[in-house]
Amino acid sequence: MAIGKEIIISAKNLKKSFHTGDTEQTIFENLNLDLYKGDFTVIMGSSGAGKSTLMYSLSGMDRPTAGTIFFAGKEITKCKDDQLAVFRRKNCGFVFQQIYLLEKMSLMDNVLTAGALGDRDKKSMIKRAKELFELVNIPEITQKKFSTQISGGEAQRAGIVRAVINDPKVVFADEPTGALNSNNSEAVLNVFTKLHKEGQSIIMVTHDKKTALRGNRVLYVKDGQIYGDCNLGNYTQGNTEREKKLDSFLAEMGW
Amino acid sequence: MRKIWTQVIYHLKKDKGSYVSFGIIILFTAFMLNLALVLTFQVDKAYDEKFNALHTATINFTVSKLQDTEQLSEALGNLQGVTEIDCREAIFSEAVVKEFRDTDFSMHTLFYNIEDVRKLNRLEVREEGQSVTDNAIYLPLYVASFGEFEVGDNIVYKIGDKSHTFYVSGVLEEMQYGNYGKGLMGAYLSGEAYQKLSEEQEENLVIEYSLLTDKNSDIEQIKKEIGNVLDEQEIVMLSMSDSISTKDTRTMVCNLLILILTAFACVILLVSVFLCKFRISNSMDEEIVNMGVLKAMGYTGNMIIGSIVIPYVMVTIVTAMIGVWCSYAVLPTLSNVLTLQSGFSFALVFDGKSLLCVELLLTSVVLLFTYRAARRIRRIQPISAMRGTGEERKVKKNYFPLETTKGKTQILLVLKQMFASGKQNVLLFFVSFVLAVLVAFASILFYNVIVKPDNFMSTLSEEMPEAIIYPKENAQEFLTDTLEKDKRVKSVLQYSVVNIEIEEEAVTTFVCVDFSKVSNDLCYLGENPKAQNEIALGSVFEENYKLGDSIELKNGNTVYSYKITGFVQSVNYQGNVCELTVAGYENFCGGESSPSLYVYLEDGNDTEAFLKEYSTKLADSITNTVNYEKIAKTSQDMFSGITAMIILAIFVLTMLIVLFILYIVIKSLLVQRKQELGIYKAIGYSNWQLMIQLAGSFLPISVVAILLSSLLGIVYMPYINQFIFHTVGAMKNNMEVSVPFLMVFAVLQIVINFVISIVLSMPIKKISAYSLLKE
Repeated sequence: MAIGKEIIISAKNLKKSFHTGDTEQTIFENLNLDLYKGDFTVIMGSSGAGKSTLMYSLSGMDRPTAGTIFFAGKEITKCKDDQLAVFRRKNCGFVFQQIYLLEKMSLMDNVLTAGALGDRDKKSMIKRAKELFELVNIPEITQKKFSTQISGGEAQRAGIVRAVINDPKVVFADEPTGALNSNNSEAVLNVFTKLHKEGQSIIMVTHDKKTALRGNRVLYVKDGQIYGDCNLGNYTQGNTEREKKLDSFLAEMGW
Repeated sequence: MRKIWTQVIYHLKKDKGSYVSFGIIILFTAFMLNLALVLTFQVDKAYDEKFNALHTATINFTVSKLQDTEQLSEALGNLQGVTEIDCREAIFSEAVVKEFRDTDFSMHTLFYNIEDVRKLNRLEVREEGQSVTDNAIYLPLYVASFGEFEVGDNIVYKIGDKSHTFYVSGVLEEMQYGNYGKGLMGAYLSGEAYQKLSEEQEENLVIEYSLLTDKNSDIEQIKKEIGNVLDEQEIVMLSMSDSISTKDTRTMVCNLLILILTAFACVILLVSVFLCKFRISNSMDEEIVNMGVLKAMGYTGNMIIGSIVIPYVMVTIVTAMIGVWCSYAVLPTLSNVLTLQSGFSFALVFDGKSLLCVELLLTSVVLLFTYRAARRIRRIQPISAMRGTGEERKVKKNYFPLETTKGKTQILLVLKQMFASGKQNVLLFFVSFVLAVLVAFASILFYNVIVKPDNFMSTLSEEMPEAIIYPKENAQEFLTDTLEKDKRVKSVLQYSVVNIEIEEEAVTTFVCVDFSKVSNDLCYLGENPKAQNEIALGSVFEENYKLGDSIELKNGNTVYSYKITGFVQSVNYQGNVCELTVAGYENFCGGESSPSLYVYLEDGNDTEAFLKEYSTKLADSITNTVNYEKIAKTSQDMFSGITAMIILAIFVLTMLIVLFILYIVIKSLLVQRKQELGIYKAIGYSNWQLMIQLAGSFLPISVVAILLSSLLGIVYMPYINQFIFHTVGAMKNNMEVSVPFLMVFAVLQIVINFVISIVLSMPIKKISAYSLLKE
C-alpha cells in the first residue's frame, strides 16, 4: 500500500490494558501497524475505542502493556522514563484537545520553553518561533499574552507552534479542534495542512469527518484492532471525490 | 458539627502527610514549651518548699570566734524584721579538695560539727553509710555529686600545707550554700573529727549567725543594720550571704534553660502558624471548585471555614498532648542535670497546669491563624468558585520573558517559577531567615567553644594560669626567681583570691601585682587598678558607684579610701568581686601578704609533671600546688560536650523543620502543578530537569534569606551573646563572631535545604505525563 515510503513508526503485537480492581480491561491487543514519514495519518473510531491511547503509546507518552514500538528505527518500548523524555523532545511534538499551555507564561514563553530543549541557540530559536507564529497567523502583540487572555483558536495555534518549534519527526495531535468553534477549527486545520505540505509527518486523532479529510491516510480503530485503512490522497480544498471516498470508508466501518 | 464532620474527615484523609508534618512541628513546640513550663512551675516551688522545710535562714554571716560577744547576739535579736536567730561554731578555711572530679579544687569551706543542734539551716540526710568513724564527714549534695564522691569514699581537704583525710559517711542536702557560685561551701564533720580539726585550726574558728526574717521585711535593709551593729562593736565580718542571691545563683542555669526553651518554642510555633496559613491558602486554591459546590448545596461560609480549621485544631490538641507526654520522658534526666548544678534535689512530676497552658496556648494560636487564613471563604461566591476562579482573577505579570531576557532558558524558567509563587516565597524566606538565626547561633557557639575555647572559658571564669603555686612564708621571691629562670615558664604573676568586706558584705577580691599582665582581663568598664589607692569593683556595685568615685573600706577601726578605676565581671561570684593591687591589699591589711604564684607555661609542657617536679624539688618552699589547666580542661570538656549537644540539637531541629516545611510546600506544589508538570513532561522535560527546576525555585529565596540572616548575624549576634551572658552575670564577653564560620554554616544550611528539596521532589518521577494530561 505504501511502496517506496519510509516507515517512521512500526508497532508489533501491541497490547494495552487497564486494571480496575481485579478486572482487566483490554483496549487493544496484538495490534500491528506501520506509519510512514511525510504522511498525515488520521486515527478515527468510536468513543472509547482507544484512539488516543494508541496515539500516546506510539509517541512514547504512555507505555503499552506488551509489544514493541520502533520509532525512526529505535525501539522505544525499552526506554526508561528519562530516556523517553529525551526521545520525545527530539522526535515528537504534541497538540492536545485541551491545549495545555502553561498558564503562568505568555504564548512566546510557552513556545520558547519547549524550544529550549532543542538544538538551536536562543537567537535562532526566537527567530524560528517568530516565523512559526507568522505561519499560524498570531501577531506579535498576541504572542506576549497569556493563554487566558486569548481565544481558543489562537491558543491552539500557539500550541501547534510549540509542538513544531524543535522540528519534530512527527506531530501528534489529539482532537485538536475538539474544543473549538468552526471558524477557529478551520484556522487550526489550515495550519496542519500547511505543515503537511511542508513535509511534516502528522498523526491526528479525531472523531470529526471534516477534520479527517485533511489527512492523506485514515485508520479506523475498532475492537482493539486497526479495523480499516483508507488512502485518501493529499488534501485539496473542495475535492468531493476524497469526501465521498471517506464517507464510503466510514460507512463500511460502521461509523 | 455533625454536618461538617464528613468534610473534616475528608480534609484529614486528603492531606494526611501535611497534617502529620504540621503535627510533628507542634509536637516539638509542645515538647519544649512543656519542659519550660514544668521547670517554671515546679523548680521554684520545690526550692521554696525545701528551703522552708529545712527552716533555712534568710541571712547568714560569720565573725571570728575571738570577736564574738554576748552583746552581738542581743543586738541582732533587737533588729526589726528578724524573727529567729541561731548561731554555731565553725571552721573557716581556704581548702583544696583533692581528686574533686579528678582534679584539685580550691574553695572556701566552712566545717561544721554535724552533732550541733540546728534551729535554722537544718540538714536533710539523703544517703548514709552504715559505720561512722572518728574521721567521718557528711558532704553536701553538690560536693558529692559534682565532685564524684560516694558514701564510703575518702575525701582529702588540704588546708594550708596539711592534708586531712575524711571518710564520707553520708550525703546531705542543705539550702544555705548549694553550689560553687557563692564561693563558699559547707562540710559537716562528726563530733570527733570536728573536735580534732578545730584544735588544729584554732585561729580559723568562727561563729556563724543565721537569721530568719519576716517575709515582708527588706533583706538588704537588715543586712545594712547588721553591718552597723558590727561596726558599733568593732567586729569584722568574714562572710555573709542571703537567701535571695543564693537562690539566684543556684537556679541560674535552670532559668537560662527556661529562657532558651521558651525562645526555641516560640520560634517553632511562629514557623508552624505560618506554615498552616500557607497550607490553608493553597488548599483553598486547590479546593475552590468543591467549596463552590458546597456553598451551592447550602453550606455556609462558617461551616466550610470550620471544616478547614477543625482538622488543624484537632491535630494541635492531639500532637501537643503527645509532645507534653514526650517531655516527661526527658524531665528526669533534666532534673538530674539541674540537681548536679544547683545542689538541691527535686522530682519533676506531671503538671496539669502546664499541660493546660500548652494546650490552650497552642490551640488558641493555631485557631487564630487558621481562622484568619480561611475566613476569605465567606467572600467567595458559589458560582465563581465552581468556575474555579474564586475571587477576582488577578492580572498576572510575565516575569522574565524568555524572548527578551538574557540568560539561559533553564535558569530563567527557575526564576519565572520562583517569582510566580509569592506566598511560597514569603513562607520560605521567613522560615529560612528564622532558622538561619538558630544556625548562626550554633556556628558562633561552635567557633568559640570548640575552635577557640579560650574565648568562652575566659568569659565564664576568672584568671586562668596553667598552674598555681602556694609559696611558704618568705619563699615567694625565691620561688618567683626560680620560676622565671625556668625556660618552660612563659610568665609568673603574684595573684591571689581573698575576701574583704565592702558595705557590710564579704566580697571576693582578686589581688594582683600587675593587672596589665593578666591573661584574662575581667575589666569591662574603665581600667584595672594600678596604684595602691585604686580599686576596680564588681558589676553588682555599678548601680551605686561610677568611675572616679571613692569608696571607703573598713578594716577594724581603720578606714581606707580607694578610687574606683573600673568595673569587673565575675560569673562565678555573680559580680560580687573587686580588684586590688598587692600594695593596695597590703596597705588595707596593714602588713605583708603572701600571694600565690600564677604560673603560665609555654605551649607543649606537661603541667602535671611540672608541678610534680617542683613539689619534690622545692618542697621546702611550697605549701601547695594546683593544676589549674586540668580544672579548666574539666570545665572546658563539660562545656564542649554541652555545646556539641546544643549544636547538634539546633541542627537536627532546624533540618527537621526544613524537612517538614519543604515537604508541605513541595507536596502542595505537586498537587497544584500536576498538570503543568505533565505538560513539561509531554514536551520532553526529564524528571531530573523538573526536580532541579522545582528545588531550584526555592534556592534563590533560601540563599537570600540565609545569607542575609547570617550577614546580619555579624550585627545581631553580639547583642544576643551579650543578652545571654548578661543573664549569667558576664557584662562583657570574649565571644568572637567569625564571618568565615558563619558563612560555612550558612552554605551548609543552603546545601542541605537544596538536597532535601531534591529528595522531596522525587515523587515527580512517579507522575506520568499521560496520566497528568488525562485528569
